[in-house]
Amino acid sequence: MGLLKYTIYRLLQAIPVLIGISIITFLLANLAPGDPVRLMLQGQQADEELVRTIEQRYGLDQPLHVRYWNYMTGLVQGDLGYSIHRDRPVSELMLERAGPTLLLVLSAYVFAIVTAIPLGIIAAKRRNEPTDHISRIVALIGVSTPSFWIGIMLIIIFAVQLGVLPSAGLVYPWQPPEAAGHDGYLEHWIESIRHLILPMIALGTLQMATLMRVERTQMIESLQEEYVKLARAYGVPERTILRKHAFRSAQLPIITIIGLNLSTALGGAVLIETVFAINGMGRLFIEAIQQLDYQLIMGVTMVLGAIFVIGVVITDISYAYIDPRVTYGERE
Amino acid sequence: MSEPLLRVENLKTQFFTESGTVRAVDGISFEVHEGEIVGLVGESGAGKSVASMSLMRLVEDPGEIVGGEITYRGETLFGLEEGPDGELRERDEMLSESEMRERIRGREIAVIFQDPMESLNPVFTVGGQLREFIELNRDLSSGEARDEAIRMLREVGIPDPAERYEEYPHQFSGGMRQRVLIAMALACEPSLIIADEPTTALDVTVEGQILDLVDDLQDRYDTSFVWVTHDMGVVAEICDRVNVMYLGEIVEQAPVDELFYDTNHPYTKALLDSMPRPDRTVDELDPIEGVMPEAIEPPSGCRFHPRCPDAREVCTRVHPETLEVDRADGYPHRTACVKHDVFDVDYDGSVPLEPGDEAETRVGGTGTEAGADSNSSSTGEEEPASPDGGDPQR
Amino acid sequence: MATTESQLEEQQPSVGPGEDEADEEVETRVGWRYTLAKIKRDATARIGLYIVAVVLFIATFAAIDSNVARLTFGAVQDYPAARALPIFDHPTAIPPPGEANANAPPAFVDGGTLSHPLGTDPQGRDYFTRIVYGSQVSVSVGIVATAIGLIGGTIVGAISGYYGGKVDDVLMRLVETLYAIPPLVLIIVFIVFLSGGSPDIRYAIVGVGITFIPVFARIIRSRVLSVREMDYIEAARAAGVKDRNIIRRHVIPNSFSPVLVYATLQIGVTILTVAGLSFLGYGAQPPTPDWGEMLRIAHGRYMHSNIWLSIWPGLAILVTIMGFNLFGDGLQDALDPRIKN
Repeated sequence: MGLLKYTIYRLLQAIPVLIGISIITFLLANLAPGDPVRLMLQGQQADEELVRTIEQRYGLDQPLHVRYWNYMTGLVQGDLGYSIHRDRPVSELMLERAGPTLLLVLSAYVFAIVTAIPLGIIAAKRRNEPTDHISRIVALIGVSTPSFWIGIMLIIIFAVQLGVLPSAGLVYPWQPPEAAGHDGYLEHWIESIRHLILPMIALGTLQMATLMRVERTQMIESLQEEYVKLARAYGVPERTILRKHAFRSAQLPIITIIGLNLSTALGGAVLIETVFAINGMGRLFIEAIQQLDYQLIMGVTMVLGAIFVIGVVITDISYAYIDPRVTYGERE
Repeated sequence: MSEPLLRVENLKTQFFTESGTVRAVDGISFEVHEGEIVGLVGESGAGKSVASMSLMRLVEDPGEIVGGEITYRGETLFGLEEGPDGELRERDEMLSESEMRERIRGREIAVIFQDPMESLNPVFTVGGQLREFIELNRDLSSGEARDEAIRMLREVGIPDPAERYEEYPHQFSGGMRQRVLIAMALACEPSLIIADEPTTALDVTVEGQILDLVDDLQDRYDTSFVWVTHDMGVVAEICDRVNVMYLGEIVEQAPVDELFYDTNHPYTKALLDSMPRPDRTVDELDPIEGVMPEAIEPPSGCRFHPRCPDAREVCTRVHPETLEVDRADGYPHRTACVKHDVFDVDYDGSVPLEPGDEAETRVGGTGTEAGADSNSSSTGEEEPASPDGGDPQR
Repeated sequence: MATTESQLEEQQPSVGPGEDEADEEVETRVGWRYTLAKIKRDATARIGLYIVAVVLFIATFAAIDSNVARLTFGAVQDYPAARALPIFDHPTAIPPPGEANANAPPAFVDGGTLSHPLGTDPQGRDYFTRIVYGSQVSVSVGIVATAIGLIGGTIVGAISGYYGGKVDDVLMRLVETLYAIPPLVLIIVFIVFLSGGSPDIRYAIVGVGITFIPVFARIIRSRVLSVREMDYIEAARAAGVKDRNIIRRHVIPNSFSPVLVYATLQIGVTILTVAGLSFLGYGAQPPTPDWGEMLRIAHGRYMHSNIWLSIWPGLAILVTIMGFNLFGDGLQDALDPRIKN
């Protein structure tokens, strides 16, 4: 029961942050130097009549707090505004574009976790041996390399030179095979995976390197804990110690970091979607920026912020699930 | 006297650090008989904990047992011999790492650590941890181990053991956790429990309860204990025989009453004098002068001489072995102090040290030559203190 | 009053990041020299120090001999082009296009020449020169933007941590909120709205700097929270020293060293971020030689025809950031003995 209570508590706690994000995006868009309407009409003759019509239509002639109130009431009802450039509701565009981004980010996380955790554990176990040094060098390179460059290199190697993997776009596994011109589900899913591999690695490498470093230090620390010594003194085999006694508590910081790094990963998605021509939210954001479609910019920022907040809530809850010391509502 | 349960002979454990070799345990010998509580006493840094971990071969990097012999019920837990090429190698009958793990640790020798707050894994239930160790060391099924764990929790005085079984360590107080650790040790039904300062982290009232509990349980289970502590009060209350350690060496070894009423070594005397007692005021307490030097470069001669009120010139030169000076209750009373006549080095004829002399004599040549010679009395200026030069303890 | 304050100053321990008193003592006595000596002893930190030193040297002294359209090193006054960092004024071309072929391969590949060791770009400019010049943009932008974040974060964090209560609540909520938006997205929004749609490296620097304020504010705040409870602060407060002076003289100096370590590591992140911005077109603008910008051009049109255009800038970023990371890690180990590898 405690966990459910905690979940509700954390969700309630997230609301002020979400409001904060809405205020920041709103202010950025509305207090920015330059009139948004004129910015939007950049390049065209600023016809005063036209400007006033647009302002009226979108309520821009009203005072700031009224506009924010309108924006907020819309948000609560799931209305993220209206993209003038595309002549479509922002929320509709979001629904369309969120899938690819989430697919990309989640797969990058899966890639990072399944590689980083075993490597980190091995490095901790064989501390200061060659295996450890190699994995530390890999981690160092991982945190020092721009993800988009990794993407470019992967394209050059696997798409341009070897020609074994596609370099652009994604195939969405949730779509029917016919939509992508595939004969059956098998071919469809294989194609989705083939398209996903390179962007996943490009986006996941930084996360992998970060997690690996943390896993290693955490495991080293954990292996020096008294309770690990105690387990050893009671004849527990080394393998069990590694997999059970030292492992579980060492994962707690990892969970926190996975949540907090979500914001870097979502930012990275903007770059990776650009490199691999994936039509996700990141690319939508860049397009919105180029078109100065400020309702859309606000919408994307708001949704990305919300994804991050929800991600952190989820990781916090799994933290509470693993760590019995967390009592609902009293955690720092 | 029957064959002891545990026999430790000339045990040496060293730590190989960047700044030099630390002789944490430097040739200690003692025995533990069935049903006995044997104390290992000394200031922090004396090597008590390292010694106790060495018994289970659980010394951590960069530490290593480099010499001596540990025998438990006729089995060699540690022992070296000289190979054909003159190199020291492990003896064939010495138990392998997996034999230690499967047959000795937990099953035969269990431990209770100093800090009950850190010794339990925070992310598993108390009962789960107990059950795991019982299952592993007593070949019980999961269900039987669970029943046994609950029974042991009741035995060590934890109320509502069935409910508390499901709780996590943070829901237990320090004293309660130490009871859990005692339950853990006893539940595996070992013959020997190494208790490494198990009451140090607890407050005094709880300490008293725990000592009573151990006393009571020890009577019923007839388990032997090696009780590591720095507290002479605890020693008086619980131990049968005592080993006093200073800088990696045992300087005095005697049955507990003998030690208290016929103290032979100035260090033991100093420890006893520094102990608060109801019959003395705080002003009368007599703290030991100075701090214990580092085991990385121990003083020459007797290691205690820089802090010893009775030190004489001879003490800076002669490194005393631990020799039998008396017998009590059928056990030897051994001491490593040249004041006693067994050490024929003319203590009485030697000049007493002035306090000012200490500075020069404090650090002997041993530190610089530590790596060059593995023999414990390695400095050229030292003379072997035993009359015949052999091992006087046999 | 004056005496009281100076006395307090004397008593005030210089708090190193280590909690251990003995470590702090060593730290106080020998300070930076001790830290440097420690870094020199650690092989990886030493490599980091060397890389950073070399990159800083190149960034400072690289100059262009406009006559030969190639890079040379020398006294700055000999080469007018190098007098000012070419970040803010966009020189028409660095280097001026040579007579070499466009898209020439590097020297070690068939068809390459030694006069263009890394080949030439699509406009026939020497790529080596552009890579070297790129270090100026990356390093200066990295340092300036980090400094903005550091100064801003120190002010916000110190105020928040020292006053606590409502001020702290409001500032920390704000920090938390800024945290929630992916930094790259927030920076681009900043840049675009601040620049009114015509991005520029100056806006990138400010945008990156502002976005990193929360990161530093958090670290400073947690440090201040512990420093605040120290006896000497109590003493200063009891002696009637003004809050502002306490913050300036006692709280900030004593909270600073973990932040400085963090700043070194953050320079790497900043360079990475700015490279990403330039890659998306919101950082340095052409023809400024910037690694991210060069990758943008390479990715756009030359991934098939000239792979070298993609390889060199990325390697340059990698090595530079690795240098700062190694150095920062070494600094951390040296200053904080508790975290050991």
